[in-house]
Amino acid sequence: MSIVRPFSASDLFRFNNINLDIWTETYGIAFYFTYLSRWPDLCAVQEDPNGRLMGYVIGKAEGQGLEWHGHVTALTVAPEYRRLGLARKMMDFLELVSDDIYKAFFVDLYVRCANNIAIEMYERMGYSVYRRVKEYYGTLGVGKGGRDEEDAFDMRKPLSRDKDKRSIRENGRDFIVNAQSVS
Amino acid sequence: MSAAALDRQIRPIYDALDTGSNKSAIVACNKLLKKYPKNDLIKALKALALVRSQKVEESLVLCDEVLESKPTNDGVLTAMMHVLRGLGRQKDMVAMFEDAFKQQPNNEELGTQTFFANVRATNWKAAQQIATKMHKQFQESRYLYWTVICVILQAKEPGTSSDMRSLLFRLAHRLLESSATPSYLSSERFCLHLTVLRELGMYEEAEKLLDGEIGKIICSASLVCNQIRRDIWKLQGRALDEGKLAESKILEKNRNWLEFLVVLDATFSYFTLENDPTDEDRTDCLDAVKKAEKLFSEVAEEDGFRDRSGHLALLELENRARKYAVSCDSNRLLALMQQYFGNFGDKACCYEDLKPYVALSGEEFEKWSVFLASVPTTFTTTEELRRLINALKLTRYTLSTSDITIEAESERAALYTKYYLAGLKLGLNLPSSELQPADDLAILTGNSYVLLWKISNNEIYLFRAISLLEFALIKSPQSFQSRLILIRLYRLLGAPSMALEHYRALRIKQIQHDTLSHLVLTRASTFSLSSTGDLTLASECLEATQIYLSNSQETGDYIVRAFTTEKYSQIPEFIYFEEQLENSLQRDMVKIEHLRMRLTHELISSDIIDMELIELKFIFDRTHHDNRDFQILPDYQPQGVETLNDQTLLFQKSSGNGWLATFLRLYIRILQQASDLDDAVEEKLLIGDRPKQNADPEKQLPLKDRLLIRHEVELAELTADELLLVDFAHALADWLESFHNYTRPPPHVVLAEAARQTELKTGHPLKGVEIPPADGFSNGNGKKNEEPPPIREPPELVVKYFSTMKSRLSEALDELSIAELLHLATLAQEAFLIFTIETLRFKPASVVKVNKLGSLVANFKNIKADALALLKEASAILLEISERFDVSGSRKAFMDACSQLTEIEEIGYEFVSSIGKKMYDSRKKVLEGVGKGITKLSTTYSA
Ligand SMILES: CC(C)(COP(=O)(O)OP(=O)(O)OC[C@H]1O[C@@H](n2cnc3c(N)ncnc32)[C@H](O)[C@@H]1OP(=O)(O)O)[C@@H](O)C(=O)NCCC(=O)NCCS
Repeated sequence: MSIVRPFSASDLFRFNNINLDIWTETYGIAFYFTYLSRWPDLCAVQEDPNGRLMGYVIGKAEGQGLEWHGHVTALTVAPEYRRLGLARKMMDFLELVSDDIYKAFFVDLYVRCANNIAIEMYERMGYSVYRRVKEYYGTLGVGKGGRDEEDAFDMRKPLSRDKDKRSIRENGRDFIVNAQSVS
Repeated sequence: MSAAALDRQIRPIYDALDTGSNKSAIVACNKLLKKYPKNDLIKALKALALVRSQKVEESLVLCDEVLESKPTNDGVLTAMMHVLRGLGRQKDMVAMFEDAFKQQPNNEELGTQTFFANVRATNWKAAQQIATKMHKQFQESRYLYWTVICVILQAKEPGTSSDMRSLLFRLAHRLLESSATPSYLSSERFCLHLTVLRELGMYEEAEKLLDGEIGKIICSASLVCNQIRRDIWKLQGRALDEGKLAESKILEKNRNWLEFLVVLDATFSYFTLENDPTDEDRTDCLDAVKKAEKLFSEVAEEDGFRDRSGHLALLELENRARKYAVSCDSNRLLALMQQYFGNFGDKACCYEDLKPYVALSGEEFEKWSVFLASVPTTFTTTEELRRLINALKLTRYTLSTSDITIEAESERAALYTKYYLAGLKLGLNLPSSELQPADDLAILTGNSYVLLWKISNNEIYLFRAISLLEFALIKSPQSFQSRLILIRLYRLLGAPSMALEHYRALRIKQIQHDTLSHLVLTRASTFSLSSTGDLTLASECLEATQIYLSNSQETGDYIVRAFTTEKYSQIPEFIYFEEQLENSLQRDMVKIEHLRMRLTHELISSDIIDMELIELKFIFDRTHHDNRDFQILPDYQPQGVETLNDQTLLFQKSSGNGWLATFLRLYIRILQQASDLDDAVEEKLLIGDRPKQNADPEKQLPLKDRLLIRHEVELAELTADELLLVDFAHALADWLESFHNYTRPPPHVVLAEAARQTELKTGHPLKGVEIPPADGFSNGNGKKNEEPPPIREPPELVVKYFSTMKSRLSEALDELSIAELLHLATLAQEAFLIFTIETLRFKPASVVKVNKLGSLVANFKNIKADALALLKEASAILLEISERFDVSGSRKAFMDACSQLTEIEEIGYEFVSSIGKKMYDSRKKVLEGVGKGITKLSTTYSA
């Protein structure tokens, strides 16, 4: 069970159990407040009934014309709450808001090419690789993933407004672009 | 010259500022100022470059010149905004923009900037007035909403009376009514509207908005609006309606636990606190329970293992039914718990999920224990392993006190270790970036060893704990939970550099400094080697403080931005966040620790004394927020004993507001006596705004009285030895107070000296300070007309302090842990430094002579001799013990303690021995350092 509620500025004081995990980056105040001051409705946390944070999602809406889309900037669940469907719920939420409120054509996200768990998860949620972005991430310095560690997949899922599914394509893994060419 | 040409010449200045080359910016400004000596923009930019190079006095001169010209030019205003922010002069910034806007009332941008200046200064009333004016003038609907939120923020200020509050909310309501466009055009405006209606209890009006088509749509996608709607319905007593709505949402597959809670609350809403339930209530409730049970069962069935909500809701339903005595089946709770374990026992959170329900007794408890004991202890999959872990955790949680003996607990520790080693086999192929599924078993073992240490008071259990947890970290390098425990244990063991090593491996960043630096910085002066020039911990303090700087520099920008983007729901949250971080308890606890370290490192002088005094006085006016995260320590102790957090606190003391207040009083009092800055002088010399008045009545008392306050609850946060220090310091201050006051040069002399210094530095006189013609007092040592206060003997608490500490040291030597020993030694050293600060003023022979204080000063000699004798002994003891760790005997003690672990093949002798070596090396280093530092300080201040 989990409570879904808006991400609040004071949650920064309480997200250690999520952020001490190495896959989750802790940013400066400016990062979180940039999102909260523009897209508070695309940011949510999940907490347990005792008020302990379990995970959160931070997103935004951007792009021109047909590229107008919802974007998942961060999605993370504390290790002890994984495999409970929390990530799925938060993605559902973000897709709902992107679709209903922002009337976006699609939702997209970046994920390390080496993060197989996440890639598979997104694929099961209906996302597909749109392109590979070279050297999108700095190196984590943990694994031996090589290029897969630094490169990102841009994954997309069309929303109801994109009736012809123009926002996705097949063989996206073969489309390679530079980090500079994406926002 | 044309404007464009000037522009071209100014551009490089901006570039220099942007890249942080303040020096070249200043040079460029100086060059241009020769040509355009009256140009405000160049002056403002120079002032900015000066502020950024810490040349505050010089910048002030320029800053005031520009302000006097009452600028309206955009570039000048912007540059000045940064200058004034850098100087902490919010009030002047507000005044500057208000002047400009008055001169150009049609300039919308200026209006906005003036509004924002007030927002930054949290002047909600003034901001409201400007927004009102702007709304009239420019007819933008958002200015109306700005007015509304400013009214609300005024209402919410702690100083606002309840009458004023409702008056303000009614005003907000009238304003909203006057709006030309409906609030539902934007969810944020809608939300603000609802907030006002909620505050005023205007539920029917809220209902109209909420039940409307658009209202429903907004609430379905906006979590914030939905939250307020929920509140309103609850306040309105619409529990049943709310229950129905939640039910329909659940049926539409919404699995937000809040919806389940609403159904649960509605189910039991027949019982109120005020009335005893009637039979009718009971029947109604029984019906509702049945209905809810049906709903939850269906959900549970439909979701299966995919979602726990339905299953947990059934448990919660039964638990509440029992509480209200409407349960029909006394076996049901236990059955549901077992079922739940059956379904979700392989999820890590199962333990937390079931914890609220395990308070069983008698036969039920027996059955539950038997059930848990029946969980297989062998496993071939991670799911099975997790089941076992959950069973072990749950069993441990309900251990009774009679189960907690050294024998039984030792067996448990051995068992956890055994399962842990077996569990590691399941994670052999995982990359090092992944956590091991068996990690929790190592953490359970750690918990168990800590409990053993508590009941036996024998360090050997901590040795075992660190060996095992270090091993667990080799296997699972990302296990931050193991690290957290290790940090605590190494501090308890007096091995601070090991604690710091693990702390750094956590890669604490940004806001985490505020919530987690307590792990290594609480009472860090105990382990500080600043006295020997090793500033490791002192710089850790400074690094942890960066976040407060970012907060004061950045957060305000986002508050302003939230106005621009009209995210009204965020504004109060941002303001609260800023306040919470600005007034963080940890921030100022670190400040005190840093001060204590600084005093052992830098030569004590009037400069340090004055600077620290001013800063501490600022802090003393704050109401602190405790943002420290203690929940993060993985606690698996039985419910009847202390939590792991409490068990592993250094010196077994949890320190917070009381500790901070006590140390603030102590140091402010000491520094104030030693300083020449009295309030009048400080007022003149202070740059920047005073903190806002604090509403707390205790904080309204005169500072002098506040410093003498003693609250027992606050003192309870101190260790016995800290308390001795506090008593010593206050007794010393009581004794010397009148002599300080008698000897301190009068304010005009101090000011004249300050003015002289400023003029030397900047070439400009100090503003607002007139230098009186030289008279006999000007060197501060002039002859006085009045007689010095009568000399009294030093108080008992002062005289006896050092000899008391000396006997404590020798008596308790064998009983004290290394950390406690260091605590005693560093406190004795601190007492000596406090004595040094208190007597600094009376050092020059001329001062003593002129003020006729010879017989007072004579008393200092004996006290100092006692202090030096104590410090000498303390230092010798520390050094002697540090040498013991070279002898193989002491190392053997560690290996003997860990013999069970060394016998385990996977762990091995070598590994344990390396951990022991590191721990002893760390101990040795700190003992040696502190010992030598004490000698060094004794020498420095012995004369
Ligand atoms: C990736 C992450 C967000 C998943 O969170 P989660 O709440 O555990 O995911 P869910 O329970 O909602 O899982 C949804 C589906 O994803 C897949 N999945 C998730 N974790 C998986 C794992 N460890 N192994 C295999 N599949 C997995 C499964 O298909 C799962 O559905 P199922 O449980 O019904 O089989 C979480 O592991 C995490 O926070 N990782 C660290 C941060 C990160 O990598 N973020 C993503 C980068 S953009």
